[in-house]
Amino acid sequence: MTNIGLYFSIGIIVIGLLAILRYSLKGKDIDRRIIFLFMFITVASSLLFKMEFPEKPTLIVKKVFNKIENLPEGSRILISFDFDPAMKPEVMPMANAFVRHCMVKKHKLYIMTLWATGQALMLESIEEVLKPEFPDAVYGEDYTSLGFKAGGVGVLNVIITDFRKMYATDEHGTPLDEIPLFAEVTSAKDMDLILPIGGGAPGPKEWILFVGDPGKVPIAPGLAAVVAPLIYPYYPKQAIGLLGGVKGAAEYESELLRNYDQFKDMDTPALSMMGPQTMAHIVIIAFIIIGNITYFRKRRMNDNA
Amino acid sequence: MLKHIIMLVLMVGLMTAVGWAQEEGTATDSVVQQTLAAPPTNVQAFDTPNDNGHSITIEWDISADDGQGLNNVVKYLILRSATPDGQFAEIGAATPGATTFKNSGVKDDEDPNYFPRETDFYYTVSAVTADGGAESEVVGPVRGEGQFFDTRNGPVLVGCLLFTIFTIFFIRKAKSGAKLYIRPLAGIDAVDEAIGRATEMGKPILYILGLGSAADIATIASFTILGRVAKKVAEYQTSLIVPCYDPIVMTVAQETVKTGYYDAGRPDAYNEDDVFFLTNQQFAYVGGVNGIMVRQKPATNFYLGKFYAESLIMAETGSSAGAIQISGTDEVTQIPFFVVACDYTLIGEELYAASAYLGGDPTLLGTLKGQDWAKAGVIISIILGIIAAVTGQTWFTELFHVGN
Amino acid sequence: MRKAPIIITAVVAALFVLSWLLKSNGAVVDENSMSAISQGFWITLSAFLTLAVMSFLYQDNPFYKFAEHLYVGVSAAYWMCMGFWTTLVGNLVPRLSEGLSNWFEVPYVGFKPHFIIPLVFGFLLLMRLSPKGGWISRWSLAFIVGTTAGLNLPRFLSSDFISQISATFMPLLVNWQGIGSFFSDFSLSASGQFIGILSNLVVFLGVFCGIIYFFFSKEHKGAFGVASRFGIWILMITFGASFGYTVMGRISLLVGRLTFIMGDWLGLIS
Repeated sequence: MTNIGLYFSIGIIVIGLLAILRYSLKGKDIDRRIIFLFMFITVASSLLFKMEFPEKPTLIVKKVFNKIENLPEGSRILISFDFDPAMKPEVMPMANAFVRHCMVKKHKLYIMTLWATGQALMLESIEEVLKPEFPDAVYGEDYTSLGFKAGGVGVLNVIITDFRKMYATDEHGTPLDEIPLFAEVTSAKDMDLILPIGGGAPGPKEWILFVGDPGKVPIAPGLAAVVAPLIYPYYPKQAIGLLGGVKGAAEYESELLRNYDQFKDMDTPALSMMGPQTMAHIVIIAFIIIGNITYFRKRRMNDNA
Repeated sequence: MLKHIIMLVLMVGLMTAVGWAQEEGTATDSVVQQTLAAPPTNVQAFDTPNDNGHSITIEWDISADDGQGLNNVVKYLILRSATPDGQFAEIGAATPGATTFKNSGVKDDEDPNYFPRETDFYYTVSAVTADGGAESEVVGPVRGEGQFFDTRNGPVLVGCLLFTIFTIFFIRKAKSGAKLYIRPLAGIDAVDEAIGRATEMGKPILYILGLGSAADIATIASFTILGRVAKKVAEYQTSLIVPCYDPIVMTVAQETVKTGYYDAGRPDAYNEDDVFFLTNQQFAYVGGVNGIMVRQKPATNFYLGKFYAESLIMAETGSSAGAIQISGTDEVTQIPFFVVACDYTLIGEELYAASAYLGGDPTLLGTLKGQDWAKAGVIISIILGIIAAVTGQTWFTELFHVGN
Repeated sequence: MRKAPIIITAVVAALFVLSWLLKSNGAVVDENSMSAISQGFWITLSAFLTLAVMSFLYQDNPFYKFAEHLYVGVSAAYWMCMGFWTTLVGNLVPRLSEGLSNWFEVPYVGFKPHFIIPLVFGFLLLMRLSPKGGWISRWSLAFIVGTTAGLNLPRFLSSDFISQISATFMPLLVNWQGIGSFFSDFSLSASGQFIGILSNLVVFLGVFCGIIYFFFSKEHKGAFGVASRFGIWILMITFGASFGYTVMGRISLLVGRLTFIMGDWLGLIS
């Protein structure tokens, strides 16, 4: 039934594109609102009829996965939620996938955020993924959260030498010395892996510059698509791998599904986003071609005129 | 018969007892030999280099029974005492196979993790098995001392110094009146052309300084170009609109434009209201600028300075309004949008170069030259590094190694 | 006065109330009725604001303006509150005053005299509001600009400059000792030596020609010009990739919003 709906909407989009192509062959511009309308129909229909594609992880994502996979049980991993609701659809799936993977491998999880607006999203991940899916995990022994601290890069400059100078307590007001997870942790250098997730400043770049490089801590950032090309130069020496945009998140989710049976019913927002993504990209490519045809048509008409 | 049986029982009993005793004997022997591992050897304790003095590093060679021999070492314990024959207390543990441990703490003496510097300590390392530890000889005294310089950052210092020397040298050279060549940039040549076009069409020129503060290098570079544009505008008697995002930027921009009009010999034509404050709310500013583009239809739009997410919205509106657009920013994420929506784009450093080229300020020129020399240095280093990589000369790469 | 705006506003208001009623699920008799009603309201409001902002794609309109101004106002206020509670109360108060720490119910860390300096600089920054004493705020600004530059320079120089240079030290040729295995184990897989050398070559040429393009002391003619042209191509390809990534990011946001509209609000997708 859903297939019929899908084919029907694809049919409408294709017919629409052909009509516009015909229009453009005459060298006429189309209203930009028509493009918006096409994008809306494309994304909405592929969401509605659940179009999904299989994902195969690229090397750069696989390296992050393997790092978490191969760390010995009980390794210390820090996840920083450096993003706001505007970036959430892209990077939240990464955060949740990281949390799942770390917990299933029984790593010790340290959660924090450098963004005031990241606090609520950090809690969302703890309350909706960590707690329900890993009910045996004990706060303070298996995971802990430092919450939000103002200061941006200043915070990073301090925690590279000492957590306690910046954080007197954890998010719930418990002194760090009373939290078992911090018993043998002095600074961010004691982490075995840091996973900064975000796309603004302070964000993954600052983590690499101010913590990863000086402290020689492996960093594997999860990035909003806009900044991914800017972080690529740090791979593979300064970042062991990276997840770029929703595509990176989808690859990571697929890798989790492939390796762990217990996750087969989990929410895979990134994977389900790749259907609409792919369709939207095809439509955009079609519009780029149509736009170029119009451009050259118009130029030829002007030359003839 | 009975005798035989008694003898037999006695003999069996005796043999069993002897055998048992022997067995017990061997068992006891093996306990003594197997449970304690060979102690770690060659233990060394020294002040951790390149730190604030609140730590001491201990190194040792692994026990002969770690990983081989009896293979029974479960961990190494590091013990410390203030005197060589005093009570040694455990201060940390290391996994089998480890050969180093850092005994460190914080400098706050009220903190439970306090580690005193300039204080003598004695150390011993114990190879621990299931049944006890075998301690190495005691080493010491050793004390933690702070260092003024972190030698691992040597390459950064060298880089800083070289760059500073290049820059100062060329600034001095430029100030002494030497002519420093800067190649022409496509965007700059277009500036005059664009102003001329606006004059012919009788329409105003819109100049956007971006969202940066007056302290941003991109904004400073933009001021120089604005000065040049203002001068040309005054000469051609065209009108100029400069909506500002930051009040301080506005003040500086007013001065810059005024100077441009003076230089052109037309101070009377300067109108202070041409340079005005719009708002410092990002998208509200975009809304305001877009409104100007749609209503006043400027012939030429300049976008030079620091831009964020608003870049495409403004450039697209300007493009659809049919203006010639010249842009430039050092915000790498925004350059692609300017490239597609504008006629000319000054990419990254080209913005500074354009400013130095147009302004002719010796400081800017010298800095630009200094940067060029730094770039030449980078190219040479990379080529040498690649040759080193192919020929397997790792020492060269080590020269560029920063940090621990 | 034109009738159309009034009619549109009335229709939108009616739809809003209808959605509120439906999302509240008629749970008036229920014990949790208040929470159901408020939840219905918040979901409806979110959907309304999303659609109001999206309506800008058609054309500018009062609904969009309302949503935009609401957003600007709320976010300004949110940041102000966050700044007060996390910077002043979170970082400064516990290091200066025990009494204030207890008043704000934050754990007192202990008196740190050097934290008086940021307090004074903070007040100086506020002098900006005074027309006469505005210049005093420049001291704070100078401090911010100076320390930021000082803190950043060594870090950027080491991570973005020196480490990046050494990251480009890659073998562009097969090591002559391993030349036999290069041919015997020749493969076109992504992890193979051939592809490895090829990508090293692309990185090297990209960096080399990119720097040449930004070399301003020499006119771009002859071989120099060719390298510079190649450099600008590489830059343009990078910008294209960046643009592509941005498109992906923006569509993700669209998908996120549509998932909310069609899932949480309309209940069309589970």
